[in-house]
Amino acid sequence: MNLAGWSATAVATLFAGGAAVITALYLLKMRRRALEVPFAALWQRVTRESDARRIWRRLRRLISWLVQLLILAAIALALGDPRPDVWLREPATVAIVVDLSASMGGPSEGAGPAASDEGAEDAEDPTDGEARRSRLDAALARARAEIAALGPSDRALVIAAGPEVSVLSALGRDHSALLRGLDGLAPTPGEADLGRALALARNAVDGQPGPRILLLTDGAVDDAGAKAVQTCAEGPLPCSVARFQGPAANLAITAFAARRYPQDREKVEVLAEIVNLGDAEASVILEVQADGLGIGRREVTLGPGESSRQILGELDAARARLEARLLAPEGSAAGHLGPAEDDLAFAVIPQLRPLEVALATDGTNLFVEAALLTLDDHVHLSGVPIAEANADHPVIAAADVVFYDPGANPLPSPLPSKDMVLFDPWRFEGSPSPIAKVRDVRRPFLTEQLKDHPILEHVVVKDINIRRGTILEAAPGDEVLIRSLGEPIAVVRRGTSGSVVAFGFDLRESDMPLRTAFPVLISNLIDDFERATPGFVAAIPVGARRPIAVAELGLATPGLTEVEVFGPEPGASTTAPVQEGVIRVRATKPGILRLRAVDGPNPGAEVSLAVNQASAAASDLHDRLGDLPAAAAVEEAPSPAPLSQGPLWSLLVLLAAGIVAIEWASYHRRWTV
Amino acid sequence: MGVISRLFGKAAPNPETGGDGELFDEAFLARLELLQVVARRVFRGRTRAERKSRKVGSGLEFADHREYSAGDDIRNLDWNVLMRLGQTLIRLYEEDEDLPIRIAVDVSASMCSRGGRKLRYAQQVAAALAYVGLANLDRVGITCMSGQIHSSLPAVRGKGRIFRVFDFLKASERGGPTDLRAACKRIAAESAQPGLTVVISDFYDLDGAFDGLNLLRFRKHEPIAIQVLDPVECRPEMTGLRGDVRLIDCEGEGETDVTITPATLKAYSAAHERFCDALAQACRSRGVPYFRAEIDVPFDELVLRMFRLGGLLR
Repeated sequence: MNLAGWSATAVATLFAGGAAVITALYLLKMRRRALEVPFAALWQRVTRESDARRIWRRLRRLISWLVQLLILAAIALALGDPRPDVWLREPATVAIVVDLSASMGGPSEGAGPAASDEGAEDAEDPTDGEARRSRLDAALARARAEIAALGPSDRALVIAAGPEVSVLSALGRDHSALLRGLDGLAPTPGEADLGRALALARNAVDGQPGPRILLLTDGAVDDAGAKAVQTCAEGPLPCSVARFQGPAANLAITAFAARRYPQDREKVEVLAEIVNLGDAEASVILEVQADGLGIGRREVTLGPGESSRQILGELDAARARLEARLLAPEGSAAGHLGPAEDDLAFAVIPQLRPLEVALATDGTNLFVEAALLTLDDHVHLSGVPIAEANADHPVIAAADVVFYDPGANPLPSPLPSKDMVLFDPWRFEGSPSPIAKVRDVRRPFLTEQLKDHPILEHVVVKDINIRRGTILEAAPGDEVLIRSLGEPIAVVRRGTSGSVVAFGFDLRESDMPLRTAFPVLISNLIDDFERATPGFVAAIPVGARRPIAVAELGLATPGLTEVEVFGPEPGASTTAPVQEGVIRVRATKPGILRLRAVDGPNPGAEVSLAVNQASAAASDLHDRLGDLPAAAAVEEAPSPAPLSQGPLWSLLVLLAAGIVAIEWASYHRRWTV
Repeated sequence: MGVISRLFGKAAPNPETGGDGELFDEAFLARLELLQVVARRVFRGRTRAERKSRKVGSGLEFADHREYSAGDDIRNLDWNVLMRLGQTLIRLYEEDEDLPIRIAVDVSASMCSRGGRKLRYAQQVAAALAYVGLANLDRVGITCMSGQIHSSLPAVRGKGRIFRVFDFLKASERGGPTDLRAACKRIAAESAQPGLTVVISDFYDLDGAFDGLNLLRFRKHEPIAIQVLDPVECRPEMTGLRGDVRLIDCEGEGETDVTITPATLKAYSAAHERFCDALAQACRSRGVPYFRAEIDVPFDELVLRMFRLGGLLR
């Protein structure tokens, strides 16, 4: 403690002199007001004091004298302007950047540089999920310690680095405002945008006296974040990094989607991808729930770093929304599951719309049409004359799958770039078929078939009589469904714009339509195309705004200009404009979004959209910052400043004034006289 | 000039009204003339008056017969008895005498506090009672006292002496400590004939407040206590007095340093009330009429209503 005002000798002299004067005044007898009364004897009887009262009266006089000396001491000390040593250093400007990425929700082991305070004992039992202290808790404790250590001339600001960067409290000296900014912070799903946060911090403190950047993170950052931290640590401004590490064991759901079976709409198939991000083998139970009711459950054991795709089939699809949860196997603790945010994923079961199928034929073969009509519960069939069935025909353009059965006619040109089934594409030379011809063949025998292919499931093609056929040229990547003496006669070619299935013979010149396997083959073809249709957007990841085609969500686009987005939190809603059939949706929390068309052909129509963290990088709890320059290392949490608000002399004057006020009030209430 | 002016002069303004009010006007006097001081016992008077006495004399009401003796007035001889029985009997009549009334007014310093309002009130009461007595041909004497007898007006008779009474009260010496025991002892000793003795005082004498009255009672007087009180002195919390003060006894009996708080004032009020109640209880237990006269009670109400209700006047 130093005296910046009067010297200690002057203060002592003032106090001694003042004390002498006060003592002298107290020794003088107080002159009382004279009051003449007619019955003094009665007054004496009434005011006669007991011994205890007399002692108390003398004691009160002594206390009053001491109070006056205390007031004098406070004033004398205030004139000395005492200041703690910490106040005499140069002012500092600190930007505290708090990492709010999902990994900050992981457990803190209490061994970090700032985790030596009150939360250390909580981290002793990492398996206790509820009482466990997270890395963010440790980081916030450090941030509070930094704020408490600020001197009266120091300033600070707090920046939250989540997927989006925000300033929690502006640059200032008010500790309460700075601390208020730290209240209610929680890890956000996804990665932190440390690059922007550190750039903001640099801009805020650059040019200020004593600039310093303090990053509070667990080090589990993505590559961009690691690079930003490295840049900050090597930059001209002092940039220190406090790491709050802990056990890295974590299991996360990185993908979750569901779809209906085309032929059984009441059943769904669920895909869940689980990743073990820890360093040891771990077992976990994947449970799929629909509105809180478990509909599927599977236990999975994964090695370190192993990823597993689990498909749960034949699940009840009575509900439209599904949740996947990771649960600890019975009898084991949940500590190896890591943060709870990535142990939960959501999916929306897509509404199955009818498949638009166009049949281009000359009308001489009704077997294909008949087979397609048996699937009318999920197939919408349209007929087009073969001569007009090129890519420009509106029915062909609107169809999902086109069956070309040209018969004695050439294939129209050009063919559309979508799913197609071609029967006998090379009857005429110059065919636009994407699958090339090798040669014609008379009475081909179907000798081999790809039994495990879904198109040929439950289908046997041997002994089929064919009068004429074409050997097709199978390109690398093509699947040969059927061979004739080893040569391809039915080929599947998968492409980005669609799949093409070509049969090198005419149905009219074979007895295949008469076989019981024919409608099964047609049904398998439809099923295969439906399974391959991407169509529905299953889920979007949290974080930055994502462009989504509203048509893929099932909302009619013509005239739709605005979509209202609800959720995932109850009551939260925003409005997203539709531009060229695309909306940009930003989700900050996993859950289910509801999108409602404001206008367009079906105003009020609603669709659902799942939001998941779905990021292995965000769930990884390992420190990926690596070695940083020595200057970036931080020391232990600083000690709180003894007094942080205002000069001390003003507090002393305030103390003296307070005592005077109490003395005045008590005197006038006759407590101290 | 009104009677009040004769009594106190212009130098004695009425503290309540702020001037010489006609409190003692002719109409009031006319009403006083209708009153009479009541004595519970029959005292022996000196001269003929309007009150019954134990004496047999020249009254109008027949009392008894006795044998004629030489020197008797033959006008009192009962001729009927003489003619009927041949006996010479003298007719005796009851004698009507006057009532000796002594009014003792406390003029000590305690009565003079707060501008002497209590003393003025006491003098008014004394003058009114004196007028009632004089109007009924009683002999009325006035004594001004404190710890001693300051001055005494010998017993006078007749309504015309009322101005002498006023002048006496006006000119009486004031001040001195209250000692009712000594003063009453002196009054009893100086009274040649016992009678009705009205003591008008604040009775601010912790030790001898009732002793004086008791002494008069033993000396065959019929004492009547009229305690004149100032409400402000009875209940000092009305003054809002606070703080450290030195209480000085106006009768010079010492000083007391006290810190006055509302609790202190409340305690004093309670003690004062207990003191007055004790005095009243002592008077009642010994058959001494006691009246409490607070000076904020209008004077004529006290005389015309309260004294009549209390049996002092009729």
